Amino acid sequence: MIRRRQALTAWLFLTPAVLFFVLLFFLPIGNQLLTGLYDADGAFTGLGNFTRAFEDPEVLHSFLITLAYAAGTLVVGTAVGLALAVILNQSLRGRTLFRSVLLIPYLTSVSIIGLLWRNILDPQVGILNRLLEAVGLPGQTWLSTHPLATIVGITVWSSAGYTMVLFLAGLQGIPGLYYEAARIDGAGPWRRFFAITLPLLAPTTVFVSIIGLIGTLQQFALPYIVTGGGPGNATSLYAHRLFIVAFNDNDFGYASALSLLLLVVVLVLSLAQLRIGDRADA
Amino acid sequence: MRERLFPGDRVAAYVVLVALGLVTVLPLLYMIVLALQSDGEVQSGDPVLWPAELQWGNFTRLFEAAPFGRFFVNSFVMAGAITVSHLVFDPLIGYVFAKLDFPGKRIAFVAVLSTLMVPFFVRMLPIYSIFASLGWIDSYQGLIVPFLMDAYGIFLMRQFIRPLPDELIEAARVDGAGEFRIYLRVILPQCKPAMAVLGLFTFVFQWNEFLWPLIATSRTEMRTLPIGLTLFNQEYFTQWNLTAAGALILFVPTAIFFVITQKFLVEGIALSGLK
Repeated sequence: MIRRRQALTAWLFLTPAVLFFVLLFFLPIGNQLLTGLYDADGAFTGLGNFTRAFEDPEVLHSFLITLAYAAGTLVVGTAVGLALAVILNQSLRGRTLFRSVLLIPYLTSVSIIGLLWRNILDPQVGILNRLLEAVGLPGQTWLSTHPLATIVGITVWSSAGYTMVLFLAGLQGIPGLYYEAARIDGAGPWRRFFAITLPLLAPTTVFVSIIGLIGTLQQFALPYIVTGGGPGNATSLYAHRLFIVAFNDNDFGYASALSLLLLVVVLVLSLAQLRIGDRADA
Repeated sequence: MRERLFPGDRVAAYVVLVALGLVTVLPLLYMIVLALQSDGEVQSGDPVLWPAELQWGNFTRLFEAAPFGRFFVNSFVMAGAITVSHLVFDPLIGYVFAKLDFPGKRIAFVAVLSTLMVPFFVRMLPIYSIFASLGWIDSYQGLIVPFLMDAYGIFLMRQFIRPLPDELIEAARVDGAGEFRIYLRVILPQCKPAMAVLGLFTFVFQWNEFLWPLIATSRTEMRTLPIGLTLFNQEYFTQWNLTAAGALILFVPTAIFFVITQKFLVEGIALSGLK
């Protein structure tokens, strides 16, 4: 009796959530599955949009540069984030302030980050080249000669603090005893880092990498604001291509197929992360 | 004693920290310098480290050059309404998953959590199509509705409510309190710290949201601040001083958030980031 009343109350409380998640998550996904089967003129093409995606040189290009962007961001971003976390895990004066300050870009609107860096990197009015020239280094045409690498740099700048936080959480889980024992055995700091810290951080590193990969695969706003996908299509990442197909070409069927392919990749990565996470807990 | 994990000495650690701290902060400080320059200074092609005369007027000129007041209001309405919605629904649903027992609970919970894996791009196009047919493009409900709740907030509240003692709920039940009353009087008052974190994070992230407002609005007067700012910059390309002034206005909630949460920021983000 009480149990039945509780069940009724529970579902009553859940009603708004059921409506929200059904109407704004599950029905839209179902709708994508259907829309993906139609072409731009509304004619049924079956899996035509999907096969087209695999043969579309623009899509292939966007996918490849997205992989390059993800790889660059992961390698540099993980290294910087890990270094910051390791340094800030020590008892240093001003530790809390440093940790927080490094997080400011993560909390800042991508509009600000994009516009700010576009100004700083501008070959005419930008301050970065003037600073480089002042110390005797040649200025660069950042966004026209190395557009993708520059976008990687801005991404690392804006996300290093977040990566640091994830690594800090991982570092808290390493028992201090291990370090005591290693020190008694005469292991130096570098040795302790490579023999204890790095291996024991492996689950965190996997987590950080997969989270980062999922994020970079969906990156849209930063190149949209900084380069508009250019020059040419040098920074037209997968999400940007999807956006163009949907809103410039008005081909929602094809865009749906592209978004479903993205969903598959993200699902696989998320499930891999869950499985690895489970194993790390066990 | 804490392990000196970093190989090397204290001085080296500080050198690295200060260098990276400066790389993080200097661009943002430069934004202030930029916002206070005269038109001549920003167009000269010579970057100015300190303006000859501080142009505070840039902040008022900005509002004349583009409807930034309206952008600000739109952003505030969007982020505010979404935050309120999260504060109303996330603890309630978190409570249901944390403390109530009912058939279908596991399936419902897994269904909610599974939405974490759905890229926004997957639901964006159908929601756009539906909203377009409802006439919701360029409307506040169009900006707000897709983000009324999310699995992160619900999961965060569930994790917070789970360890609260069941005895409190049982005692209230024995006293004859109804389920909603128990939630309102017993559970909710204890959730205040978690709700403060949830509310602040929700507001700042929605305030900064870029992709959906870009798609869901096309009329200038319905643009939000992040979109208005980028459009303004494209239109008046050389007016970097006004762009920077607008960026500073957009930055205000982030700065306030930073000052309020500075002490707990890292733990707060670790909590929400690690799920």
